[in-house]
Amino acid sequence: MEKVFEIYIKTTPERLWEAITDPELRSKYNFGVRVESDWTQGSSYTSRHPRADGPLAEGENVEVDPPRRLVQTFHALWSDDVKVEGTSRVTWEIEPVADSCRLRVIHDELREGANDELFGGWPMILSGLKTLLETGEELTTPGSLMYAQQPA
Amino acid sequence: MDEVFKALADPTRRGLLDSLYEEDGQTLSDLVRGLPMTRIGVMKHLRVLEEAGLVTTKRRGREKLHFLNPVPIRLVHDRWVSKYAEPWAATLTGLKRQLEED
Repeated sequence: MEKVFEIYIKTTPERLWEAITDPELRSKYNFGVRVESDWTQGSSYTSRHPRADGPLAEGENVEVDPPRRLVQTFHALWSDDVKVEGTSRVTWEIEPVADSCRLRVIHDELREGANDELFGGWPMILSGLKTLLETGEELTTPGSLMYAQQPA
Repeated sequence: MDEVFKALADPTRRGLLDSLYEEDGQTLSDLVRGLPMTRIGVMKHLRVLEEAGLVTTKRRGREKLHFLNPVPIRLVHDRWVSKYAEPWAATLTGLKRQLEED
């Protein structure tokens, strides 16, 4: 199964690449999740949340071509239900278009009828990424509230 | 965002999105099947959906595959729906967490 997510963001490919690979920036729109890696071809990466026990996902950076293309394997670890789905693939494609960028996230090599938790978060993540890069602000979504600290 | 609302304001186009939701990556012929409409008619609707960003395409060999892109719907949600509805949802999420932790 294959899913495609696309968004236009008013930014440069370099800033977009940084927002995807910098753990601090990434956590601002990816539900607080930090993705740590040295981002070399064939390196591994781990996604963690400070308030979650253990990593939430892990995988390998199969193709690293900054600031245009990143291909990763993806193994979700946040629950037993998603763990059994095994490894799928996530491809990030950045294409400059006039003063903006088209970002395409292709999530494929998913099992037919795969658990939609695996790819259901992408629209929220990409919407948050757009808001962050275009306004510098963080967007509140159900995803960002998932691990949020309780209001006092 | 005008394009998204315009694209969603037509039952045939919503039907096409539902069809892609059920099965992503369909060709034009797949999508035409089961619709009381010509190929050209469906193509016109698909073009409106593509211009709104709700449908995106990929080439595979000679075939053009159509995918539902739910991101613009999320953007509409974050801009319009959340403003009016989300404070309640956020309160309920907080309440759920509090009750489960206590």
